[in-house]
Amino acid sequence: MKRTTPIALGTSAALVLALTACGSDGGGAGGAGETAEGPVTISLAGWDFAATPEFQTLADGFMEANPDVTVELKEYPAGNDYDTALTADLAAGTAPDVFIVKNLKNYVTFQAGGTLLDISDVASELDPATGGLEAMAVDGKTYAVPYRQDSWVLYYNKDLFAKAGVTEPDGSWTWDDYEAAAAELTKGIGEQDATGAYLHTWQSTVQGFALAQSGADLEGGDYSFLAPYYERALRMQQEGSTPTFATATTNELTYQAQFGTQKAAMLPMGSWYIATLVAQQASGEADTFEWGIAPIPQADESTTGTDATPVTFGDPTTMGINAGIDEEKVDTAKEFLAYAAGPEGAAALAAIGITPALIDETVESTIFGLDGVPQDDLSKFAYTTHETLPENPVGEKTAAIQTILGEVHTEIMSESTPVDEALATAAERVANEVG
Amino acid sequence: MATPVVDQPAAVLPGSALARPRRPGTRLTARNALIGWTFILPNFVGFAVLTLVPVLTLFYLSFTSSNIFGTASWVGLDNYQRLLTDKGFHTALGNTFYYAAVHIPLTIVVSLGLALLLNQKIRGVAFFRTVAFFPYITSIVAIAVVWNMLFSPEYGPINQLLGLFTDGALPGWTVSKDWVMPAVIIVGTWRDMGFYMLLFLAGLQTVPAELHEAARIDGASTWQRFWNVTLPCLRPTMFLVTVMITIASFKVFDLILVMTDGGPGRASLVLSHYIYTKGFVQFEFGYASSVAVVLFGICILVTVVQFVYNKRKEA
Repeated sequence: MKRTTPIALGTSAALVLALTACGSDGGGAGGAGETAEGPVTISLAGWDFAATPEFQTLADGFMEANPDVTVELKEYPAGNDYDTALTADLAAGTAPDVFIVKNLKNYVTFQAGGTLLDISDVASELDPATGGLEAMAVDGKTYAVPYRQDSWVLYYNKDLFAKAGVTEPDGSWTWDDYEAAAAELTKGIGEQDATGAYLHTWQSTVQGFALAQSGADLEGGDYSFLAPYYERALRMQQEGSTPTFATATTNELTYQAQFGTQKAAMLPMGSWYIATLVAQQASGEADTFEWGIAPIPQADESTTGTDATPVTFGDPTTMGINAGIDEEKVDTAKEFLAYAAGPEGAAALAAIGITPALIDETVESTIFGLDGVPQDDLSKFAYTTHETLPENPVGEKTAAIQTILGEVHTEIMSESTPVDEALATAAERVANEVG
Repeated sequence: MATPVVDQPAAVLPGSALARPRRPGTRLTARNALIGWTFILPNFVGFAVLTLVPVLTLFYLSFTSSNIFGTASWVGLDNYQRLLTDKGFHTALGNTFYYAAVHIPLTIVVSLGLALLLNQKIRGVAFFRTVAFFPYITSIVAIAVVWNMLFSPEYGPINQLLGLFTDGALPGWTVSKDWVMPAVIIVGTWRDMGFYMLLFLAGLQTVPAELHEAARIDGASTWQRFWNVTLPCLRPTMFLVTVMITIASFKVFDLILVMTDGGPGRASLVLSHYIYTKGFVQFEFGYASSVAVVLFGICILVTVVQFVYNKRKEA
């Protein structure tokens, strides 16, 4: 029994290889439109399944609707290692049929490397309201579709606002209002290690907003659009409205602890934190307090107020098909993508607290039906209404430019180099190193 | 070692040894070589598959525009030309030399000092040796995180201590462009000293006590004995340690990646970090390979110089 297993495996592997070779050689014979009959198995790449249930949720949902299809999950390491490990498999030709393009800035690399199948037909059938969909086009063709998209909003602690006697955000805030409120809160709370706001150390907490709200072009070569946002961030840390960048990096502060244990009354953060905060409040990791979400403060009054659409940023997480997929599986893989990025996938994701790319009424009622999620109208408005622009616009130079801007971020925020000088150097570096 | 090998063929293969009595040397040499090869084969296979082939591929990749997918096109010396004008590369190169130039002598002095200290017959010497060796076996991530907190400019104990002695501006350590390299070097030295101390301790055991005794009778002071007896006797160890520290310093990566991620700005960006960024963050594997070739060249060059110097001293 035991001896025959490897032989059987070997034979079937050889058979599969022979069949696929025939398939690709005689592709013309089969013709388009002919779908695979009988059971089909497609594989899906994801990461850290224990902590990231979304892949299993999507696979289960799709298999339930299509009993003939089996979606096999292949686990990759989490964090940045996902891209590295997946890249190695793609280069070796052993990557799964469908994979997640986790970081938008690598999308172009994957596309230019010929690893992604053109799925413009799937994209054209999707709801145009799907967040981030438009931005995925490369020369008029789409190679990956967004299935989840978090947008950045402002979290605030209602208890601390009441304690400090500061008026809560009402959706009309510009960054000036935010800055003033942070100063008032810091004074009003009056505790030594509590601040009005917490700005996490990532470059996106400054640059993401600046890029989205100024409408500047990342590849434009001029980075002075970042200046007002950096000046404000520096002013706030010098005034003590936020912990300094130096303290946040050297003490490894986490935004979950700062906001969750009431060390900060306001926190600009992505919508993924809603589910985390609810879970941490339930488990006791975070304190129990009343909180809400508000639209992120705006550059000027033209986009403030609940009758306007606030501009914020957020990269979609997208899914594409491996260009090396067996031909007979292509249709099934496309159906899976349409499911994951469509309303059914969105509902399934919302049920586990994840923000899908397509936010409709079902998603809204599901998310706000979860225990512990704030019920006020402003929170609902902030969650559902926004123009979300990508932090990493699709472009060949994006990855290299973001690396340079990431270095500039630490330089400015640590107060090693004045804003204007650092931004001028950034422009030089981009010209010198990226071209 | 030689004697049993010479004896063996006669015992194992008496027939063949008798049949060709004229050229036993050839057979013996071939046999010895074969035995030798079989001994190093397991190691060599591992080396060839996991190191030699990748290194040769690296050289090839450095002449291409590889982004790992699809076919890499040959671009000749383009990547190397780009190195000449790439300011990011120049910064990384400068920082790497800065790190090496301070870290190498500092680590040698500190670890040799520790070894001399812990070579004495004092109570609890084993305990102190273990303590000195501890940083080396501690996880690098833990080291980086804890030292980062110690270096924290506002709340860190290091600056609080310094504040007792001076009223002036305190260093910003890992969040200051000027102080980040010293901070990283201090941690690097602290981490490595235990390991090299161990090598020096082993070396010190080989210094003959008679020489020290004779020197003492001749009236040499402790300092003179150190310069004229201990140090010359330690030369083989010193050579090994220097080569190892040098290569390790040029290749420094994990510590800086976790502690500062090359920042603030590029103030602590080193070559291996630059290779990592270009290769695995920006997927420019061809260009990253050419930087790696430069790093390889530097390590080889410095090591060869050290070998030649050592040979000359030996002669």
